[in-house]
Amino acid sequence: MEVTIKLFRYNPEKDKKPSYKTYKLEALETDRVLDLLEKVKGYQDGTLSFRRSCAHGICGSDAMRINGFNRLACKTLVRDTGAKITVQPLLGMRVIKDLIVDMEPFFEHYRSVKPWLINDDPEPEKERYQSVDQRAVFDDTTKCILCACCTTACPSFWGNEQYVGPAAIVAAHRFIFDSRDKAAAERLKILNEVWGVYRCHTIFNCTLACPREIQITRAIGEVKMALTTGKTE
Amino acid sequence: MGLKRNVGLMEALRYQGKGPMLTYILHRIGGLSIVIFVGLHILAGYLANHAWGANLGIFINSIYENWLFQVFIFFFALFHAINGLRIVILDLWPKLIEYQREAIWLEWFVFLPIYGIALFVIVRSGLGG
Repeated sequence: MEVTIKLFRYNPEKDKKPSYKTYKLEALETDRVLDLLEKVKGYQDGTLSFRRSCAHGICGSDAMRINGFNRLACKTLVRDTGAKITVQPLLGMRVIKDLIVDMEPFFEHYRSVKPWLINDDPEPEKERYQSVDQRAVFDDTTKCILCACCTTACPSFWGNEQYVGPAAIVAAHRFIFDSRDKAAAERLKILNEVWGVYRCHTIFNCTLACPREIQITRAIGEVKMALTTGKTE
Repeated sequence: MGLKRNVGLMEALRYQGKGPMLTYILHRIGGLSIVIFVGLHILAGYLANHAWGANLGIFINSIYENWLFQVFIFFFALFHAINGLRIVILDLWPKLIEYQREAIWLEWFVFLPIYGIALFVIVRSGLGG
């Protein structure tokens, strides 16, 4: 089938304003949008810039707006988009070139919630034990690949980039509810600040956009509840 | 180098967030509508009590007592209330969030009959029936 793909283009060295360029190419229904971008770059316009790495939905590099909705280009099939495809960079981030956005503010928020295990107790002889039930509490939020699909789908983040964002809250949730971690109170204090978890208005854009199908709004709700009750178990 | 961060209103509205995004937009418009309605009400009440502004007060009063305005304001105020209730329930019981799609359907299921009855009464009285 013939596919028309309309791409957001912006070269900071040449363009004053961004524009859109349309390309026509042959594709199979089972082709991914990433394959189409590779074809455009390889055969029609080598100046096209976009991020990609593993191309299998694990690294989270190729998050972009496809037909107005945040997705990973490597997980989106032509069968699901139709023959007319519009690809734009993630909303709410500074565009560096074409489909590449500046991810630094996103990672800054991620780092702000201390997404690593904190436990100053003396190291046990073997591993720190955890039951299956204790592990299950935060299982969902371990799946995050930091693609930023959720944060850049969030109207609260569009409104103000100081908002810590769903991805950072998911990362915090993963440790707040980890029975081996001892810094839940510290993280909750960070998320209780002005641009913390209460900027979430339960809109669900993050949950719908997540390519890993993490129940993000639920995780945010559990963090809000932990802040209210002080319970993390 | 690079573009500035820019999220325009129209670009944000074009995001394909589907049902939940629509409820969010309607909720925001609803909040704004309630502020305008209450603001007009207070302003009209204040002006009507002053000789110099009585005519303006009566004019503002005639705006929000107009049945067309009531059709609009009742839609958004009622939607704002029911949607707010849905969000409060989901915030208080995060485990229910997995049924958020059903919650939105339920919200419309509650909203439409109530609004339908109100619409019938407002339009009938507006048209002098």
